[in-house]
Amino acid sequence: MGLLDTETGKRRLLTVEIPVIEKYNDGRDAQYRIRVSRVGGTLLLAYRLKPGHNVYEVETRLLSSYPTVPPETRILSPLKHCPHLLEGQTLCLWRQGSTRQTSRWDPGKFTCVFAVQAAWRWLACYELWHETGEWPLPEAK
Amino acid sequence: MDFRPLNELERRNLVTALRGNADGNRVLLMDPKDTTFAGTADDVPDEEVIHAIKSVPCHY
Repeated sequence: MGLLDTETGKRRLLTVEIPVIEKYNDGRDAQYRIRVSRVGGTLLLAYRLKPGHNVYEVETRLLSSYPTVPPETRILSPLKHCPHLLEGQTLCLWRQGSTRQTSRWDPGKFTCVFAVQAAWRWLACYELWHETGEWPLPEAK
Repeated sequence: MDFRPLNELERRNLVTALRGNADGNRVLLMDPKDTTFAGTADDVPDEEVIHAIKSVPCHY
Protein backbone atom coordinates (compact mmCIF):
# COMPACT_ATOMS: atom_id res chain seq x y z
CA MET A 1 0.00 0.00 0.00
CA GLY A 2 1.65 3.24 -1.11
CA LEU A 3 0.79 6.05 1.26
CA LEU A 4 0.80 8.65 -1.49
CA ASP A 5 -0.13 6.75 -4.61
CA THR A 6 -2.94 4.34 -3.71
CA GLU A 7 -6.50 5.01 -2.58
CA THR A 8 -5.98 2.94 0.58
CA GLY A 9 -2.77 4.80 1.33
CA LYS A 10 -4.32 8.21 0.79
CA ARG A 11 -7.24 7.26 3.00
CA ARG A 12 -4.86 6.24 5.77
CA LEU A 13 -2.92 9.46 5.33
CA LEU A 14 -6.03 11.62 5.58
CA THR A 15 -7.86 9.72 8.31
CA VAL A 16 -5.00 8.48 10.50
CA GLU A 17 -1.59 10.06 9.94
CA ILE A 18 -2.46 13.72 9.30
CA PRO A 19 -4.99 13.93 12.17
CA VAL A 20 -2.51 12.43 14.63
CA ILE A 21 0.20 14.86 13.51
CA GLU A 22 -2.25 17.76 13.95
CA LYS A 23 -3.07 16.50 17.42
CA TYR A 24 0.64 16.21 18.26
CA ASN A 25 1.25 19.78 17.07
CA ASP A 26 -1.74 21.27 18.84
CA GLY A 27 -0.53 23.71 21.53
CA ARG A 28 3.12 22.79 21.01
CA ASP A 29 5.83 25.44 20.73
CA ALA A 30 6.34 26.20 17.03
CA GLN A 31 9.93 24.96 16.93
CA TYR A 32 8.90 21.55 18.32
CA ARG A 33 6.06 20.87 15.91
CA ILE A 34 6.24 18.20 13.22
CA ARG A 35 6.70 19.73 9.75
CA VAL A 36 5.58 17.52 6.88
CA SER A 37 6.88 17.60 3.32
CA ARG A 38 6.87 15.29 0.35
CA VAL A 39 10.09 14.07 -1.25
CA GLY A 40 9.24 11.94 -4.28
CA GLY A 41 7.21 9.00 -3.01
CA THR A 42 8.30 9.58 0.58
CA LEU A 43 6.65 11.63 3.27
CA LEU A 44 9.22 13.44 5.40
CA LEU A 45 8.54 14.48 8.99
CA ALA A 46 11.00 16.99 10.44
CA TYR A 47 10.88 17.86 14.13
CA ARG A 48 12.89 18.58 17.26
CA LEU A 49 13.05 16.57 20.46
CA LYS A 50 14.48 17.55 23.83
CA PRO A 51 14.26 14.69 26.32
CA GLY A 52 16.82 16.34 28.63
CA HIS A 53 18.73 19.58 28.20
CA ASN A 54 19.81 19.06 24.60
CA VAL A 55 17.76 19.74 21.48
CA TYR A 56 18.00 17.22 18.63
CA GLU A 57 16.95 17.74 15.03
CA VAL A 58 15.17 14.59 13.86
CA GLU A 59 13.81 13.34 10.56
CA THR A 60 11.38 10.46 10.05
CA ARG A 61 10.71 9.11 6.57
CA LEU A 62 7.51 7.29 5.68
CA LEU A 63 8.61 5.35 2.62
CA SER A 64 6.23 4.36 -0.15
CA SER A 65 6.01 0.92 1.53
CA TYR A 66 4.82 2.49 4.82
CA PRO A 67 2.96 1.40 6.95
CA THR A 68 3.82 -2.20 6.03
CA VAL A 69 7.46 -1.24 6.48
CA PRO A 70 8.14 0.82 9.62
CA PRO A 71 9.26 4.45 9.40
CA GLU A 72 12.95 5.25 9.20
CA THR A 73 14.20 7.79 11.70
CA ARG A 74 17.55 9.50 11.79
CA ILE A 75 19.07 12.18 13.95
CA LEU A 76 20.45 15.14 12.05
CA SER A 77 22.29 16.62 15.06
CA PRO A 78 25.77 15.12 15.47
CA LEU A 79 25.92 12.17 17.87
CA LYS A 80 28.71 10.10 19.36
CA HIS A 81 28.73 6.58 18.00
CA CYS A 82 26.68 4.45 20.35
CA PRO A 83 24.64 1.23 20.51
CA HIS A 84 21.52 0.99 18.35
CA LEU A 85 22.78 3.57 15.89
CA LEU A 86 23.10 2.61 12.22
CA GLU A 87 24.84 4.24 9.29
CA GLY A 88 23.74 7.80 8.59
CA GLN A 89 22.69 8.21 12.23
CA THR A 90 19.59 6.12 11.53
CA LEU A 91 18.07 4.72 14.69
CA CYS A 92 17.83 0.97 15.12
CA LEU A 93 14.32 0.73 16.52
CA TRP A 94 12.35 -2.18 15.11
CA ARG A 95 13.51 -5.66 14.31
CA GLN A 96 11.93 -6.87 11.11
CA GLY A 97 10.41 -10.31 11.29
CA SER A 98 10.56 -10.48 15.04
CA THR A 99 7.88 -12.59 16.65
CA ARG A 100 8.27 -10.71 19.89
CA GLN A 101 5.56 -8.11 20.30
CA THR A 102 7.79 -5.61 22.07
CA SER A 103 10.24 -5.41 19.19
CA ARG A 104 7.89 -5.56 16.25
CA TRP A 105 6.30 -2.77 14.22
CA ASP A 106 2.56 -3.35 13.90
CA PRO A 107 1.10 -1.34 10.99
CA GLY A 108 -2.42 -1.99 12.23
CA LYS A 109 -1.80 -0.40 15.62
CA PHE A 110 0.86 2.25 15.20
CA THR A 111 1.05 5.62 13.49
CA CYS A 112 3.91 7.89 12.51
CA VAL A 113 3.72 9.56 15.93
CA PHE A 114 4.80 6.24 17.46
CA ALA A 115 8.02 6.75 15.52
CA VAL A 116 8.39 10.19 17.09
CA GLN A 117 7.82 8.73 20.54
CA ALA A 118 10.25 5.89 19.84
CA ALA A 119 12.86 8.46 18.79
CA TRP A 120 12.24 10.40 22.01
CA ARG A 121 12.81 7.26 24.07
CA TRP A 122 15.92 6.41 22.06
CA LEU A 123 17.31 9.90 22.66
CA ALA A 124 16.56 9.65 26.39
CA CYS A 125 18.62 6.43 26.42
CA TYR A 126 21.35 8.19 24.44
CA GLU A 127 21.57 11.03 26.97
CA LEU A 128 22.13 8.47 29.73
CA TRP A 129 24.57 6.41 27.67
CA HIS A 130 26.54 9.59 26.88
CA GLU A 131 27.25 10.05 30.58
CA THR A 132 27.54 6.49 31.83
CA GLY A 133 28.65 4.45 28.80
CA GLU A 134 25.80 2.04 29.54
CA TRP A 135 22.60 1.73 27.48
CA PRO A 136 19.88 1.87 30.14
CA LEU A 137 17.49 -0.63 28.57
CA PRO A 138 18.15 -4.29 27.83
CA GLU A 139 17.98 -5.50 24.27
CA ALA A 140 14.94 -7.55 23.35
CA LYS A 141 15.46 -10.90 21.62
CA MET B 1 26.76 20.42 19.58
CA ASP B 2 27.77 21.25 23.15
CA PHE B 3 26.30 18.42 25.16
CA ARG B 4 24.68 19.48 28.42
CA PRO B 5 24.46 16.44 30.72
CA LEU B 6 21.72 15.57 33.17
CA ASN B 7 22.54 16.04 36.83
CA GLU B 8 22.68 13.04 39.14
CA LEU B 9 19.05 13.30 40.28
CA GLU B 10 17.74 13.83 36.75
CA ARG B 11 19.76 10.85 35.56
CA ARG B 12 18.42 8.60 38.31
CA ASN B 13 14.84 9.68 37.64
CA LEU B 14 15.15 9.11 33.90
CA VAL B 15 16.73 5.65 34.29
CA THR B 16 13.97 4.59 36.69
CA ALA B 17 11.31 5.97 34.33
CA LEU B 18 12.73 4.26 31.24
CA ARG B 19 13.06 0.90 32.97
CA GLY B 20 9.55 1.19 34.41
CA ASN B 21 8.27 1.96 30.93
CA ALA B 22 10.12 -0.98 29.42
CA ASP B 23 8.63 -3.24 32.08
CA GLY B 24 5.24 -2.03 30.96
CA ASN B 25 4.07 -0.45 34.20
CA ARG B 26 4.98 3.26 33.81
CA VAL B 27 3.96 5.81 31.21
CA LEU B 28 6.63 8.35 30.22
CA LEU B 29 5.33 11.91 30.04
CA MET B 30 6.59 14.56 27.62
CA ASP B 31 6.13 18.26 28.20
CA PRO B 32 3.44 19.17 25.64
CA LYS B 33 5.26 22.37 24.69
CA ASP B 34 8.86 21.29 24.15
CA THR B 35 8.97 17.49 24.66
CA THR B 36 11.17 17.66 27.78
CA PHE B 37 10.86 14.68 30.13
CA ALA B 38 8.01 15.48 32.51
CA GLY B 39 7.93 12.45 34.80
CA THR B 40 5.87 9.28 34.76
CA ALA B 41 2.34 8.14 35.51
CA ASP B 42 0.50 4.87 36.02
CA ASP B 43 -1.74 5.70 33.08
CA VAL B 44 -3.05 8.71 31.15
CA PRO B 45 -6.49 9.59 29.79
CA ASP B 46 -7.01 9.14 26.05
CA GLU B 47 -6.85 12.87 25.29
CA GLU B 48 -3.34 13.11 26.76
CA VAL B 49 -1.89 10.00 25.19
CA ILE B 50 -0.27 12.07 22.44
CA HIS B 51 2.08 13.52 25.10
CA ALA B 52 2.80 10.17 26.70
CA ILE B 53 4.80 7.12 25.82
CA LYS B 54 2.87 4.09 26.94
CA SER B 55 4.35 1.18 25.12
CA VAL B 56 6.54 1.90 22.15
CA PRO B 57 7.72 -1.26 20.46
CA CYS B 58 11.50 -1.17 20.18
CA HIS B 59 13.98 -3.97 20.00
CA TYR B 60 16.29 -2.63 22.71
